[in-house]
Amino acid sequence: MGKLLGILLISILATNTFAQNTVLKAGQTAPEIRLPDSKGDTVSLASLKSGLVLIDFWASWCAPCVEEQPQLKALYKKFAASVREGKFEIVGVSLDKEKSNWQQMVARLKISWTQLSDLKFWRSPVAKDYGIGELPFNVLVDGQKKILAINIHGKELEDFIQQYLAAGNAVN
Amino acid sequence: MKYLVFLLTLMFAIKGPLKAQSAANPWTEKQLMAPGALAERITKGQGNNVMILAVGPDAVIKGSVNAGPAHEAAHLDQLKNLLKTTPKNKEIIIYCGCCPFDRCPNIRPAFKTITDMGFKNVRLLNLEKNIKTNWLDKNYPTND
Repeated sequence: MGKLLGILLISILATNTFAQNTVLKAGQTAPEIRLPDSKGDTVSLASLKSGLVLIDFWASWCAPCVEEQPQLKALYKKFAASVREGKFEIVGVSLDKEKSNWQQMVARLKISWTQLSDLKFWRSPVAKDYGIGELPFNVLVDGQKKILAINIHGKELEDFIQQYLAAGNAVN
Repeated sequence: MKYLVFLLTLMFAIKGPLKAQSAANPWTEKQLMAPGALAERITKGQGNNVMILAVGPDAVIKGSVNAGPAHEAAHLDQLKNLLKTTPKNKEIIIYCGCCPFDRCPNIRPAFKTITDMGFKNVRLLNLEKNIKTNWLDKNYPTND
């Protein structure tokens, strides 16, 4: 009977939680990212000096990712003071394939944070380096690029950023 | 036992809306095609008599033609154009692969448009998670 209950519980939970990432672990140093921005200039994760960085993996073809962008914009606005003080930053890493689709979507959504893409779709090395199985996906790193949280969204993401910044942890 | 009843009720409550949604899909279970079956046909060189249409991010699958993400009206027109001279009994397989079916904005308008045009032999490739997990990661044949 206990076994049956266990199976039932697992089947309920399995359909309602994000898949576990098997490559990344909190506390590890995040794999380096070196990708072109919209102008073609290479930007590296190491060069981002903010004390807390949200790396948002998305694509213009990913409907749930596009839906999430207004929430990220709201966060960016809410924590604008921290952004100005170099304590918080968002970087978008797109798995797009067509440059025009990518840039048109960025323009349409009016996203102001750094956007990077090698336009290699799922064959981008970052997909493998970060063990991304599906989009949207994100990682939060500190100033030393240590992974703080993996794939958290919505209220959980907002609360995490809020608490991290309030605790004065975001030093670069 | 009460606990079990509660769990079953909970499970039904969670699964209920999903079931309701799948009932509203324009395709039937029989119209779903397993990715492995299509990959085998392509590998064996038997993919020529079928039209494979990408209605999502990219024409990843070998031999497939890109109609563009079908949630946009312009792409649906492109899809209609692509099929303008195609015989109505032609075997057509469509796929998107952006994300699981319940979150995909492309497969429903594409499937409905094609069947509304009178095509009789249309199937949807059953990419349960996405094109990465259910095609690329399995090293099935690709266009590039």
